[in-house]
Amino acid sequence: MARSLAGFLVLILAISICDAASIFQPISDSHRSAALDLFKPVDGSFASLEETYEALRTFEILGINKKPDVSTATCGTVSKALSSSSSTPKDLFDALRVNSILKCKINAEVFEGIISKLQAAVSGASSLHDFYYSIGSLGLIKDQTSKADLHLSDAEGIFRSIKALSQSDGRWRYSSNNPESSTIAAGVALETLAGVVSLASSEVDQSMIGIVQNDIMKLFDSIEKYDDGAFYFDEKVVNVHEHSGPLSTSSSVVRGLTAFTTVATGSLNLPGDKILGLAKFFLGIGIPGDSKDFFNQIDSLAFLESNRVSIPLILSLPSTVVSLTKKENLMVKVNTVLGSKAPPLTVKLVRAYSTSSKDTSIIENKELSFDPERVVYFLDALPDSVDVGSYIFVFKVVLHDSERKDVYVTGTLTHVQIFLTGHVKIGNAEIAVLDNDLGTIETQRKLDLAGENAVSLSANHLQKLHLSFQLTTPRGSAFKPHQAFLKLRHETKVEHVFLVGNSGKKFEITLDFLGLVEKLFYLSGKYDIQLTVGDAVMENSLLSEIGYVELDLPEAPEKAPRPPPQAVDPYSRYGPKAEISHIFRAPEKRPPKELSFTFLGLILLPFIGFLIGLLRLGVNLKNFPTSSVPATFAILFHVGIAAVLLLYVLFWLKLDLFTTLKTLSFLGVFLMFVGHRILSHLASASSKLKSG
Amino acid sequence: MARSTSKDAQALFQSLRSAYVATPSSLKIIDLYVCFAVFTAIIQVVYMAVVGSFPFNSFLSGVLSCVGTAVLAVCLRIQVNKENKEFKDLPPERAFADFVLCNLVLHLVIMNFLG
Amino acid sequence: MAKFLLYITLTISLLPFLAISFSPEIPTDRRVLVLLDDFAVKSSHSLFFDSLKSRGFELEFKLADDPNIGLQRYGQYLYDALVLFCPSVERFGGSINVASIADFVDSGHDLIIAADTNASDLIREISTESGVDFDENAAAMVIDHTGYAVSNTDGDHTLIASDDLIKSDVILGSKNIEAPVLFQGIGHSVNPANSLVLQVLAASPSSYSANPQSKLSSPPSLTGSAISLVSVIQARNNARIVVAGSLSMFSNRFFRSGVQKAGSSTKYQKSGNEEFLTELSKWVFHERGHLKALNVRHHKVGESDEPSMYRISDDLDYSVEIYEWSGTSWEPYVTNDVQLQFYMMSPYVLKTLSTDKKGLYSTSFKVPDVYGVFQFKVEYQRLGYTSLSLSKQIPVRPFRHNEYERFLPAAYPYYGASFSMMVGFFIFTVVHLYSK
Repeated sequence: MARSLAGFLVLILAISICDAASIFQPISDSHRSAALDLFKPVDGSFASLEETYEALRTFEILGINKKPDVSTATCGTVSKALSSSSSTPKDLFDALRVNSILKCKINAEVFEGIISKLQAAVSGASSLHDFYYSIGSLGLIKDQTSKADLHLSDAEGIFRSIKALSQSDGRWRYSSNNPESSTIAAGVALETLAGVVSLASSEVDQSMIGIVQNDIMKLFDSIEKYDDGAFYFDEKVVNVHEHSGPLSTSSSVVRGLTAFTTVATGSLNLPGDKILGLAKFFLGIGIPGDSKDFFNQIDSLAFLESNRVSIPLILSLPSTVVSLTKKENLMVKVNTVLGSKAPPLTVKLVRAYSTSSKDTSIIENKELSFDPERVVYFLDALPDSVDVGSYIFVFKVVLHDSERKDVYVTGTLTHVQIFLTGHVKIGNAEIAVLDNDLGTIETQRKLDLAGENAVSLSANHLQKLHLSFQLTTPRGSAFKPHQAFLKLRHETKVEHVFLVGNSGKKFEITLDFLGLVEKLFYLSGKYDIQLTVGDAVMENSLLSEIGYVELDLPEAPEKAPRPPPQAVDPYSRYGPKAEISHIFRAPEKRPPKELSFTFLGLILLPFIGFLIGLLRLGVNLKNFPTSSVPATFAILFHVGIAAVLLLYVLFWLKLDLFTTLKTLSFLGVFLMFVGHRILSHLASASSKLKSG
Repeated sequence: MARSTSKDAQALFQSLRSAYVATPSSLKIIDLYVCFAVFTAIIQVVYMAVVGSFPFNSFLSGVLSCVGTAVLAVCLRIQVNKENKEFKDLPPERAFADFVLCNLVLHLVIMNFLG
Repeated sequence: MAKFLLYITLTISLLPFLAISFSPEIPTDRRVLVLLDDFAVKSSHSLFFDSLKSRGFELEFKLADDPNIGLQRYGQYLYDALVLFCPSVERFGGSINVASIADFVDSGHDLIIAADTNASDLIREISTESGVDFDENAAAMVIDHTGYAVSNTDGDHTLIASDDLIKSDVILGSKNIEAPVLFQGIGHSVNPANSLVLQVLAASPSSYSANPQSKLSSPPSLTGSAISLVSVIQARNNARIVVAGSLSMFSNRFFRSGVQKAGSSTKYQKSGNEEFLTELSKWVFHERGHLKALNVRHHKVGESDEPSMYRISDDLDYSVEIYEWSGTSWEPYVTNDVQLQFYMMSPYVLKTLSTDKKGLYSTSFKVPDVYGVFQFKVEYQRLGYTSLSLSKQIPVRPFRHNEYERFLPAAYPYYGASFSMMVGFFIFTVVHLYSK
């Protein structure tokens, strides 16, 4: 249930026409171009003989002349398949089907060889598919070689064994081992039975044909229906394999049905609306995107076009939108499903009523005129009372030749939604700022809504803004459009929408700012005024920027709601940021070099002064030890001190502390030793002097 | 009164000068050394006042070398001065050895800090 | 021998499965699960699916209420992307539900959602989770009386032709889409505070979202360009979501149809739907606009190996390689606005990286004279591109005691003083000992 409901919704999406109307378009040129796109041979041939047949049959049905030429490569495959001894009946069937279209040159001996094989296959067949392929191949050979003497040996027996697989509800099983019944199998079985009947040497028993016809009627009891009048078959068992959807099931049944009714004498009382419903189902799919679906659709429609039960005729409208202003005529087409001409008939407009008032008809019982050049039926003149709007038109097709009622089926009434559009006159448009209490007009401007306006008004919260205009239909009556908005947009992009109400022809809106202050979030400033008036039937729907109004509103109180945040422009949301480079701390101001050098000189002055002072004091080296050993020690001592000081200078220049300390320890030990010697010598010398 | 104070200052100065002449020359050498160090320090301070204390470590190092060595020289003077009763038992060579050692350590530190 | 051959064949036959599976080196999705309401959609939208298949995607079609569907098995995701073409599904079959779809996106996988009139609450809920809000009125459609597509069969102006496309070469390709895009469905709004959502196709200023068959009694909640027809969301983990309000937009019928916008005299033979949706699908499946950054390298100027620490006022070089996935291979990404931040609590240095046009971006700058633990941060976010967020920590130390400047001319007097003191001391030692 859910699946069919879902399927229904999808079908509606695929058709995309609103619910009230249900128009089905017959096959058109868009189908033909889609077919050429869909069936594209690769390197001059299709992938398999089955696909080749599907493509060629589709091109043949649609009457496409500029089809790709695959005969050379394919004929080779066909003859190989037919001559090969290892071909199964299915391969032969596919090859023969392709051959029936391509008409390759096949030797008669090849056919002879196949016939005996197929006859054996028929006798030994146990499953439905075995019967189908072998009998189908025999039937194709009979057509292609026009051998009148090709017959099935035991046609009645075969008929019975196939019939034995049928179920009570009209479905068939695939084989006696398989208990599952399938609707697709029913179609296959009917096709096979039709083949048996056509290949039978003598008349098949009429009662058996009658039983099969009963089965067909039972099968049609299980047909399912969409709300828009389309009928379809679906498999009961939910099969994961996608090609068992409603399309392939329905097409299989249609093939079987049309094949059987072609060969069977006697009439089948199938209700015509079900045949028409099946045609609507196939047409309602539109243009399938899958090649197998496309083939199934076109093949089924071809069989429906020329079947012996009833041929559906489709009523379609090239356009459901008619312009009153441009004085367009409503046109209706009646065709067969493949788009061919219908027999002579009349299209009557039973009644037409507005979608808003379903009971009153504006038109009743009008016959449409026929244009033989364009093969359309058109409504030449609408009565003057008919105005713009949305209507439901109810059509009925009446065949001229009442005998043909058995051959063709047209359905009962077709409801179509028509939009009568026109140019709606907008006039007397004016905008005004009114004072609240008295209603006196402070400023008033006339507007030309169809053209440019640039009104600038100003108002405060104690005043009102009043906008009014008039809408008149082409016939002069009042018109209420679906969309009549007044939009105020603040500088900060906060928007407010108001509906413009009407009384008859006059539309007006009064914005009382005193009551709207809170709705406007207390935002004062410039508000752009925009008026949008539109309707499905209004040909001149408009969006008019009227101008702006400077509103002066009081300050927002504490608890007032904040205006909603507005969107940030996405293009400015991302973007490189400004570059930052670090400002380093300014280095200390250095003095000029000359100043440093000057002070360096100054520093050396005290040193020079020291030296001069020493000389003035009369320093001498009288106390220097005279004997060699103490003298050496003395010299070594001072050399040692000098060495240490030099080491310090080196340390300052390039050495590190560790090497310095290492060297210093050596020098220090040396210095201590030497110093001790010299100083003890000096000490003893001076004590000797003191005592002596 | 001002004239008498200036006269007294001059008399004081004269007596100071004559007393100073009597000091032994070794002490005078030490005094001269101290003066030299102090003047160097003063010039460095003046330089710092002019240009700012940018390489502060060098400034400290320079000033400390002067001041440190001046202090050590004053210590030496106190210890070597024969008239100081406190250091009667300290041999002047010993004091000198201390002076040299401390100075060497001082200069090591100065060189490290000079930058 | 036979057994050995058998094992070899089995192993070799398993290798392709390993190669095909999703890997971060190849960001484009490969396996896509498509959930449909009805298998008729597979046929009626075959042009869109064929364009995906021709680019190498493996599509798996399942009904939305199929009880065997699941996004993951034993903790591993079976698909790289999900396409929801099931606007009327009330409940998913199998193990799929709103939470599992949210997890799917959170783990970095992409999603396309197509709603339509009569979209179920489930689809609305999924869209709200993704960041867009459909009109609450269930029967509302987007109507535009001045921007509709001129049509003989759709007279109620719900079939609109929109050309308000986002201006982004990375989302919509570099070729300009000339023809307007046909749309028939419901509109949604985007929360202005949400910085991850972008309106790719917006409605015109005169449009509004309402039920075409009943009169308006109060102003509609969605009007004007605030109505978004197709939006994209790029999550922070770079998963991409497309939300479209019309399933028929993807259909063969709309792809093949010509379009003429009301009020314009230009009639286009083919609508912009196929171009627009193909380019958008390339973006959403990461065939465009997916960046990766490799080989972040930094070193001192003149050296080549990466130090573990910098010193203040060092000159350093930083380089990174950025590539963009072109659908089949990684191509160098060329732009001129990638920026590097040297960041500690706030960016101290922000520089634009220069490129050698082959994907290498580099710059050099001086380390600030503030020490601490810094980060090399590259935060790159551009419209339609995945975001790059690279961050590498690096400490910065102050000068060592022996890295300061020495031998300054300003300090010559001090040097002179120290040396003169040393010399003076030496002379003094001599004089003091031996002078009488």
